[in-house]
Amino acid sequence: MRHDMQSPRRMIESSFMDAGADGSAQVDKELIAALGKIVGDGGLVSRLSELKVYECDGWTIEKSAPDLIVMPRSTEQTSAVLRTLWDRGIAFVPRGAGTGLSGGALPVNAPVMICTSRMNRIIAVDSADRRAVVESGVVNLRVSDAAREHGLFYAPDPSSQQACTIGGNIAENSGGPHTLKYGVTTNHVLGITLVLPDGEIVELGGAAEELCGYDLVGAVVGAEGTVGIVTRAILRLIRTPQAHRTFLVTFEDVESATRAVSAIIASGIVPGAIEMMDQLIVHAVEDAFHVGLPASAGAVLIVELDGLAAALDDQARTIAAIARGAGATEVRLAASDAERGALWKARKRAFGAVGRLAPNYATQDGVVPRTRLPDILRVINEVSGKYQLAIGNVFHAGDGNIHPIILYDERIPEQVRGAIDAGREILAACVAMGGSLTGEHGIGVEKQGEMPLLFSPGDLIAMAELRHVFDPAERSNPNKIIPSAGSCVEVAAPHRQVPI
Amino acid sequence: MASRPAHSIWGRKIVEYDLLFDCVHCGLCLEACPTYAISRAEMDSPRGRIYLMKALAEGRLDLDSDAVRHLDACLGCRGCETACPSGVHYGRLIEDTRSYIEGNYRRETPDLLRRGLISAIFPYPARLRILISPLRLIERAGLRPLLNRMMPRSIRSWLELLPPLASTQTSASISSPAPSSSAQTVVVHHGCVAQVLARSEIANAEALLARAGYRVIHLDRTICCGALDLHSGNRARALDFARANVRALAASGANAIVSTASGCSTAIAEYGMLLKDDDHELSEKARLVASRVTDLSNLLLKRLPMPRSFSCTVTYHDACHLAHGLGVRDAPRELLRSIPGLKLVEMVDADMCCGSAGSYNLTEPEMANALARRKADSTIATRADYVVLANPGCEFQIASELRRRGSNIRVMHLADFLAMAIRTSDE
Repeated sequence: MRHDMQSPRRMIESSFMDAGADGSAQVDKELIAALGKIVGDGGLVSRLSELKVYECDGWTIEKSAPDLIVMPRSTEQTSAVLRTLWDRGIAFVPRGAGTGLSGGALPVNAPVMICTSRMNRIIAVDSADRRAVVESGVVNLRVSDAAREHGLFYAPDPSSQQACTIGGNIAENSGGPHTLKYGVTTNHVLGITLVLPDGEIVELGGAAEELCGYDLVGAVVGAEGTVGIVTRAILRLIRTPQAHRTFLVTFEDVESATRAVSAIIASGIVPGAIEMMDQLIVHAVEDAFHVGLPASAGAVLIVELDGLAAALDDQARTIAAIARGAGATEVRLAASDAERGALWKARKRAFGAVGRLAPNYATQDGVVPRTRLPDILRVINEVSGKYQLAIGNVFHAGDGNIHPIILYDERIPEQVRGAIDAGREILAACVAMGGSLTGEHGIGVEKQGEMPLLFSPGDLIAMAELRHVFDPAERSNPNKIIPSAGSCVEVAAPHRQVPI
Repeated sequence: MASRPAHSIWGRKIVEYDLLFDCVHCGLCLEACPTYAISRAEMDSPRGRIYLMKALAEGRLDLDSDAVRHLDACLGCRGCETACPSGVHYGRLIEDTRSYIEGNYRRETPDLLRRGLISAIFPYPARLRILISPLRLIERAGLRPLLNRMMPRSIRSWLELLPPLASTQTSASISSPAPSSSAQTVVVHHGCVAQVLARSEIANAEALLARAGYRVIHLDRTICCGALDLHSGNRARALDFARANVRALAASGANAIVSTASGCSTAIAEYGMLLKDDDHELSEKARLVASRVTDLSNLLLKRLPMPRSFSCTVTYHDACHLAHGLGVRDAPRELLRSIPGLKLVEMVDADMCCGSAGSYNLTEPEMANALARRKADSTIATRADYVVLANPGCEFQIASELRRRGSNIRVMHLADFLAMAIRTSDE
């Protein structure tokens, strides 16, 4: 860890001297010229029609286009760009591939967007130490592609892994179906190169497995881009399992499927993944991909075992017996890699498949204790009726991470409002059941208002203070996570325009 | 529940408005888009282009040179359709958008000229033959390199794409038995550019089909399939071409229809949709014709007597419309693998466009060249002896880039490659 511990203190002091600069200074021709010198004219986007394309990410309910987009190609360019913005008191918002689902890349009083998409080199794959060094704009799946020939893979596998970037994964601490066994992004990031909002480049963590001192990498992973721009990461790679056994298990209702999930966990077997889809999702997925899901099912589970081939058959028998004991009407084992691949493809594209049912959807993300899954599903069902909006459920059942997908039509204002309110009610219920506001999508702008449900004003102040160590002037992705800019005890809805 | 407006009330009828709402803005298409792979900017991604279409349709954006530039830059490869979980009909959206642009946007003169030239020559084999006949003489005299050097850059890049013209004269290189009377019948659609510049592919495809036991029906006249026009916004002529083809193909009575140019087979496979508003008889015929389209590899797989052995390393490039349009990926690979001694090595991003894309490499040379370089990089990295593919456009594009690099890797159409392997093994 080469981080100079003087620097945050220095920055806090300088932020006091800088008091008054709120990061909202304007983009002008002079700034465009200065940044163009750093990244080249091709690295800037400043035309109105082009900026529009960036006015939202995967969270489409709120829109706000940046005034300027900068696409640096290296850590050094990023540093020079941030230094220039710092000197002028201009705030910025980071963006990778814009697949985020909580509006993390939505500019809110941040005139400049820093897009990491051009920092997409895989710098090294170290098969002996099982590490990959990548730039933050590298797409998640590309890391596993590069590691495959060494018999390794990168474990966090969000459903958007074919497009989302490692930088975005680090910002949101992304998960995926296989987090049940392998953990989320923070468990797989060993070191990062972070460019602080004043342009200083710091290295946090490193290639070694155990480092002493405070876990600063841990503080940056999941910070949703509010501490600067991550340009590089050292990732842990995992040995590709020798074999898989992947089940498709059918149930008449969600209750019995949930019983099966709890019983599997209780048996001591740790599957790679346990995923659940409810009736609406099963229908949508089957209509879209024709993988042979049972149309009459009340719920299906995808249970995947992985590990040494010799051990899997015994475990598979146990899983099948447990599932039947919990009331499964059918237990089907994928017969080939192709069948397994088709099942996962269908599962990972479930969100989009549901998109075929309505013009728009909002994917919610909450967590409840596993045993409360039937309770939260009952709440979701009531909320669906109350707002007259269809809601499908696909989730990482093994760790109680739910994804209600709320269908709406952006052309009908009351549906947009309903989708927002329905999401809030579901999250409030998650918290009331002892759960959390997000499993992997982040707070962004979407769930800022709900943070006080989970955290006391004191908690929120502590979080803001941690953020200020890195970003004392709140220039990096301002107005995210913590409700309302500036004062973290104010819990009213944040100051932003909701275009409804 | 309130009803929603059925179409954009601002009324720019650029595409079927509701189709735009199939896109849920998830972004899964980004990495599958060749132009995004190069520029890494989202205006050059499918999601970004759909956003532009929507903004245009809703009157929130002017049809200015910025918007047109990014819509022009789309290759129409439809890689995004494969990646899309929501079933967005991107091909239809971009075709309709282009038709709207051609009707409502005034292009700069050089651009107009270039497009006009392509549109006036390429769909007509006789015109193309006349145009390249002096080139044949120049090539025979060994003066092509000199000619290339003398030309201005814009024309030189067109010339460099042309294959050695001597190679385009080849006829079938294998013999085939006479078919049995009960054999299934097949038509090989000859198209336009292919029947001038890729004759060996067509001849070999027909010979291979005969060798596999099909009865090949030769149509006197098959004309341009209309894909070129559809992709460049000239819908009216595309419909005329489609109608003529439907009549000829339906009259042939063939059980199966193939083309050695996968862009053409995909276009024909969509005739049903394209001509759905024609009179009942024609639209029915179009549906029937469309349903009979398949790929050469599907017909040959498990039926073509394979060579005894042909030792070499091959990598396979997925032509866009074959993979993303017709969904044919495995059959050509299985055919290749079934040749004893042949080692098939996958290249990185085998199904990413090489930049050829119909006439794209002539209208958007910069992006096309960047994609050709990328494709050449991944081809060379496989250390293969041959890169096999199933579309003449890709063949010219990749060969041109490999020539420029002095690479020894041979670029061959699947039909030519199989014929060569059989001939070599028979000798």
